[in-house]
Amino acid sequence: MLLDAGTIQVGSEQLEVSWFLLLAAALFVLGAIGVLIRRNPLVMLICIELMLNAVNLTLVAFARQLNNREGQLFALMTMTVAAAEAVVGLAILVDIFRVRDLEDVDDLSELKG
Amino acid sequence: MQALALAILLFPAAGAVFLGVFNWRGSRLLTAFVGPGVVWAAFVCVLILLAGGVNQDFTYWTWIRSGSFSVPFDILIDHLSLFMCLVITGVGGLIVTYAVGYMEHETDGSYARFFCYMDVFVLSMLILVLAGNTIFLIVGWAGVGLSSYLLIGFYYWRRSAVVAARKAFVMNVIGDVGMILGAFVLFVSYKQVVYGPLFGALPKSDGGAVELAAFLLLVGGIAKSAQLPLHTWLPDAMEGPTPVSALIHAATMVTAGVYLVARFHVLYDAATYAHAAVAVIGAVTALFAASIALVQTDIKRVLAYSTMSQIGYMFLAVGIGAYSAGLFHLLSHAFFKALLFMAAGNVIHALHDDQDMRHYGGLWNDMRRSSVTFLVGSLSLAGIIPFVGFFSKENVLGEAFSRGDALGYSVWLIGFLTAVLTGFYTGRMWWISFWRPAAPERPVAGHLHEAPAVMLIPVAILAVLTTIGGALQVKAVGGWALVDDFLRPVLGEEHITAVALEYVATLLTLVLAALAFAAAYNFWIRGSWNVDAWRARLAGAARVLEHKYYFDELYDRAFVRPLDRLARLADREDRSVIDTGVVDVGTYTERSASSLSLTQTGFLRSYVLVFVAGAVIAAGLVLWRAQG
Amino acid sequence: MGPATLVFWIASLFALGGGLGVVLFKQAIRNVLSLVVVMLSLAVLFLLLSAQFVFAVQVIVYAGAVMVLFLFVITLLGPVREQSTMRLPWQVFISAVVIAGFAGFLVAMLRGVTYRTPDAADPLFGTVQAIGAGLFTDYLFPFELTSILLLVAAVGAIYLSRGPR
Repeated sequence: MLLDAGTIQVGSEQLEVSWFLLLAAALFVLGAIGVLIRRNPLVMLICIELMLNAVNLTLVAFARQLNNREGQLFALMTMTVAAAEAVVGLAILVDIFRVRDLEDVDDLSELKG
Repeated sequence: MQALALAILLFPAAGAVFLGVFNWRGSRLLTAFVGPGVVWAAFVCVLILLAGGVNQDFTYWTWIRSGSFSVPFDILIDHLSLFMCLVITGVGGLIVTYAVGYMEHETDGSYARFFCYMDVFVLSMLILVLAGNTIFLIVGWAGVGLSSYLLIGFYYWRRSAVVAARKAFVMNVIGDVGMILGAFVLFVSYKQVVYGPLFGALPKSDGGAVELAAFLLLVGGIAKSAQLPLHTWLPDAMEGPTPVSALIHAATMVTAGVYLVARFHVLYDAATYAHAAVAVIGAVTALFAASIALVQTDIKRVLAYSTMSQIGYMFLAVGIGAYSAGLFHLLSHAFFKALLFMAAGNVIHALHDDQDMRHYGGLWNDMRRSSVTFLVGSLSLAGIIPFVGFFSKENVLGEAFSRGDALGYSVWLIGFLTAVLTGFYTGRMWWISFWRPAAPERPVAGHLHEAPAVMLIPVAILAVLTTIGGALQVKAVGGWALVDDFLRPVLGEEHITAVALEYVATLLTLVLAALAFAAAYNFWIRGSWNVDAWRARLAGAARVLEHKYYFDELYDRAFVRPLDRLARLADREDRSVIDTGVVDVGTYTERSASSLSLTQTGFLRSYVLVFVAGAVIAAGLVLWRAQG
Repeated sequence: MGPATLVFWIASLFALGGGLGVVLFKQAIRNVLSLVVVMLSLAVLFLLLSAQFVFAVQVIVYAGAVMVLFLFVITLLGPVREQSTMRLPWQVFISAVVIAGFAGFLVAMLRGVTYRTPDAADPLFGTVQAIGAGLFTDYLFPFELTSILLLVAAVGAIYLSRGPR
């Protein structure tokens, strides 16, 4: 209806794929806003995770619509990478917090000029 | 034979390379052997070629090839080039050997440097006389100019030496330009560079480009031989060590102009005006230089001006067509001038580098050997029998007199006056330096020592040659002319025959020159004539002579100062316009870089913003492309 | 409205609510918990889309492991409050503009896409067998690379968190 993406059969109903896509888009945009506006580094990482999740939803929705498995596999890869990235990012954060009492990511501005 | 001819060049070249590259700080003994040794080796090669009667143009390879233009690397062995080679390697060998002793006070590095430069000079001069084509000649011509510069400025820590070297080089370059232009004119007009074909292609009389080419080549000769008006560098060149003055500025390099006219005699026979100009310039320079020599106080300067004057004689000779006479005088001058310089060097060496004659005196008693040799040289210079100087000078003047035309008589007259003047100033030089009682400034006899053997023997050899050399060419009634005969295959028949009046003229010249020599004693030593009164009367003339006719001042005003101003202007412009332009590029780059670096804010969030904005733009591009 | 649609709307509501919570909450722990809500909602949506394996992995790995890691770090670091003073005053405004544009583009792109005809219907869609078959045959190389990536991340995390010697 909205995006002309077709429908899928769930049980006995037809669901619009476009709804899933729009939801994913909305979550992605929310995540983007969060990364840009929030100043707590931890929260920024979380917002990035949100964006990744939104992308996963899009991938799986398309996979279902087109009946192929690449989308799901890609979503699995994305999850793996997101996990790895979250681990390393958190480790760096912990390292920084060990040295200084960081509350605002804007404090990390030594690499300027 | 072909290899031998090349060996003449290779020996000094190898010596120069060895001394310059390998022996810079090396063994003094090795330098003392290699330096003169290679010159003597070349001399031996010349002797062998002479004995073998070789007469050929040897081509080794094609040096330049451009389309149809090709210049060979060739060595011309004929009697003229062998004659010059004998002088260069023989007299040169003696001088370089002498220098082994003279330069002993130098440091090891300077010692090697000196002999390296001398070998470079010998090589260049040999190239000059052995070249078989005009382009190769130019190579040698430029090479001797360079060697002269290097050797005049040998004591480079002395400002006066450096300035003199530069002056010599600049004037030589002026001559070089004339030379090169002359070679170009010849090539453009007659399409030849190799001597044989070139001389064959020249017209037999005036016409075409012969006058122009002859004049242009003459400019080169004038500069190299220090004739008017490009003469001012020669007296200053005395800043170089005495062996340099002996070799380059007496025996060889300055005679290059004479060789040039002789080699190109086919050209000059055709170009009558240029030919006459050679004679006139030679004669005038001879008189001019002799007059200046009269007031010089530095012994080397006297010898320098006398060189200038004697070369004037040589130019006079070749200018009237008496090529062999000119070359005989070249040979004889090489003998006695090198002798004079080296004997003077012995004196200078003993007197701790004092060259002012007013500080000399009494050397006849205290330095007998040097005095005797110097006397031999002086008498030869003055043209006194039986020394070789008499025979060669009379040869020249006799040829001029016997020509019988206006040019002949006028140059003879100038030559005659010069001969008398030569006797006068030579006598002055001898009496003041050697005969009178010692000057108070001179070191006492006990502190003087005669030169070592290595410096005395070459001088002695040259003294002997000066004494017996006259036997080469005695053109009196029923006499013989060995030099003429030797050079005839190259220079053609001398077309002047002696007239009876010539003998009278010769006798007159001899007597007056001898009287002048003796008169100088009365004038300066005995004081029979009041020197001071004369000086007061001729004060104006004396001043002109002392300032060398104000030539240096003239050139300074006319050329040096305007060029200096131009150079300063260029430097200022370079610094203000060009340098700032270049510097500005750097400054602007720096400034724009620092303004660009402001984007590195250090704030993570602005980076993310830029990141996202970039993604947005990319998305927009994709969309736009997809639609379009 | 059938049951599927109802499930979809409820899950979407929770997801959006969680998303807003992630962006808006000031206390970090509430952020994390909001994200957990989002992940669980998305898991439900995955299930709705018949992607059973992805649903399971989402719950076990993402919500179960990664989020727990976040919680550990938060408790380790203690309560963190954001300051009110801003260093980049223009950030919000420009971000709003950029995001608006971004959203617009997203929608436009999704509208403009031409979809290809779907593949043949697969009764094994989303099952473990299908995923497994894909991972170990056609997509073995990416699978192995991902394992290496995890190894690198683990080593990196250990090294980084060792602290000063």
